[in-house]
Amino acid sequence: MSNSVISVISRFLEEYTTKTSNKLKVVDAYLFYILLTGALQFLYCLLVGTFPFNSFLAGFISCVGAFILGVCLRIQINPDNKGDFLTISQERAFADFLLAHTVLHLVVINFIG
Amino acid sequence: GLDPGSLFSLVLLTVALGAQALTPSHHLSLSDVARLQALLSQPFTDLASAYYSIVGLSKLGASVADENIPVSNETRDILLAAVSEDSTVTQIFRAVSALSSLGLPLASQEVVGALVARIAKEDNVLAITTALQTATRLSQQADFGGILEEIEDLAARLDDLGGVYLQFEEGLEATALFVTAAYTLSDHVDTEPPLKEDQVIQLVNSVFSKKSWQSLSEAFSVACAAAALSNNRFQVPVIVSAQGPATVSHNQPILQLLVTDVLSNPLASASVVVESAQAVVSKNVILTQAPFSLRDGIFELNFMTSQPASGYYQFSVAITGDTRLVASQVELKVKVSTEVAITNMDLSVVDKDQSIGTKTSRLGRKAHDSHQNFAMTFQLVDVNTGVELTPHQTFVRLHNHKTGQEVVFVAEPDSKNLYKFELDIAERKSEFDSMSGTYTLHLIVGDATLENPILWNVADIVLKFLDEEAPAAIQSKTLYMPKPDIQHLFREPEKKPPTVVSNAFTALVLSPFLLLLILWFKLGANISNFSLSPSAVLFHVGHACMLGLMYVYWTHLNMFQTLKYLAIIGSLTFLAGNRMLAQKAVKRIAAEQSSRLAKYRSLR
Repeated sequence: MSNSVISVISRFLEEYTTKTSNKLKVVDAYLFYILLTGALQFLYCLLVGTFPFNSFLAGFISCVGAFILGVCLRIQINPDNKGDFLTISQERAFADFLLAHTVLHLVVINFIG
Repeated sequence: GLDPGSLFSLVLLTVALGAQALTPSHHLSLSDVARLQALLSQPFTDLASAYYSIVGLSKLGASVADENIPVSNETRDILLAAVSEDSTVTQIFRAVSALSSLGLPLASQEVVGALVARIAKEDNVLAITTALQTATRLSQQADFGGILEEIEDLAARLDDLGGVYLQFEEGLEATALFVTAAYTLSDHVDTEPPLKEDQVIQLVNSVFSKKSWQSLSEAFSVACAAAALSNNRFQVPVIVSAQGPATVSHNQPILQLLVTDVLSNPLASASVVVESAQAVVSKNVILTQAPFSLRDGIFELNFMTSQPASGYYQFSVAITGDTRLVASQVELKVKVSTEVAITNMDLSVVDKDQSIGTKTSRLGRKAHDSHQNFAMTFQLVDVNTGVELTPHQTFVRLHNHKTGQEVVFVAEPDSKNLYKFELDIAERKSEFDSMSGTYTLHLIVGDATLENPILWNVADIVLKFLDEEAPAAIQSKTLYMPKPDIQHLFREPEKKPPTVVSNAFTALVLSPFLLLLILWFKLGANISNFSLSPSAVLFHVGHACMLGLMYVYWTHLNMFQTLKYLAIIGSLTFLAGNRMLAQKAVKRIAAEQSSRLAKYRSLR
């Protein structure tokens, strides 16, 4: 049983490192970073407590929002998905990413207290 | 005239229709009349004051010295010429008064015509009142139609104050003069004045509410009004008041009423009858149709013969005998008071455990401690009738001589009207501050209907409390001293975790960024493709500014300011970024096309 899981994981990793383009790997690294940051914030909240709660929420939601926007960007710039996003060029996807982030940061800073 | 039967039914009808009829609240008492006379008797300094004094005093019935004035023909002609449309009403009045006082002939109809014409031009209250007064000096054969309707018009101009007072806004003098003129003229032409009963009473209240008069003319007007209201042919307001307090008891069983006119002259011809006397609390009707008897100008009734229980009674009194009487239905509240006696007083000390009462004599000292209850029972009866009473105040007061402390309890009656007072010493020790010692016990009985309120030192008791505290200052002294200050407790800030922990986690949370940089480096991400076109530079600078603005927003600004700056920087960044990305897109598409072309060529 565990054998098959390990073999699936190793196969996945192999395909990932060879098949995905560099551009996407850059975005994936960014997403991983965001994920880690959010997880660590949550860990702090669990261990030490929720004071100050608004700051915790701001930080956590910032991570969540950034992750989601990053995923959107990755989907939109992936050449394999070109058929789904005919009207949206890569530059346009990036511009949307930046705009959405501006709004997210505004809200997060407002809430951080 | 009317026969007694229809008069009685008329009175009944008035009772049925207007149970709460208006009664005068002000009139001139005998002392007021004396004061008015004194004011008018002052020596006169000019013609006006002479006029006021002489006429005023004569109206009040005081005697005045006579004056005789000879008149010449020229004077008479001047006076007659004054009676015309071109003179003011006051001038006409003075001329007519002079002519009639001197006994000279005048053409009454001409005067009426002139007055009516003047009233149309001088439409104020005083002028019309003066015109009315002038008309009283004319011959009775003249046609007073135009003048008489002025009384009603003028009455309509009176201001109703709270349903109690009716007066002109020009003041007391104008109102009093109007009253005088209206009644004098009505008597002169033998026509009932168009004033309703309620209006008459309200006018009485207005004119007689002021008891000190500022000027001679004001005093004069009040005197004239009083005379007119007490002695005219149509409407005489009657004033009913009790002689002394309206209280009867066994010692004073007679209720005395003063029935007078507004000048406090007794109306001897009136007959006074109690329509009904009803107890306020129980609503029992004790008396109906009982007449008062007249003695020395005072109307008397022996109420105690009806054997009323003590308390308050509502009397409905009717005054008859004169068709002119106004406000002849009066409501009075009469109090019947009595004396109380305490009977069947029983003092006992009851052991809490056994509840066996030990009866002791009324005098002497008794010692009690916390295991015993002190009980007292008694009855309160009416001395004269033997009926049990429940007065408003039945208190038991315990007073400690040494500390000056006093504690008051209420004794309550049970269903059989037996008063009981029980003192549980252990339970009540907080009220006594646990101070053992000798307490004097007083019984206090009082009520508005009792003539003999009781303060009786029943006994002295010695109270022993188990745990005695140190003698504290008397409760009442500290009651009125400033209380201790209350400090405001601000909301405690929440407990923060230790700084070490916070710093450690801050470092931990920032560490993935390092990881990101490492990963990017490993992937070979670089900025070698960075074109230094102005739009690219501007875009990056603008973007950096926006991030900086976020930081400044966190530390200094509010949302509105931030949005303002963001709009400016954002639009610049957007324009630059748009340009830059378009250039990039062009480059990318060109590169893709060239690579596709190269692939196509290589395939061939």
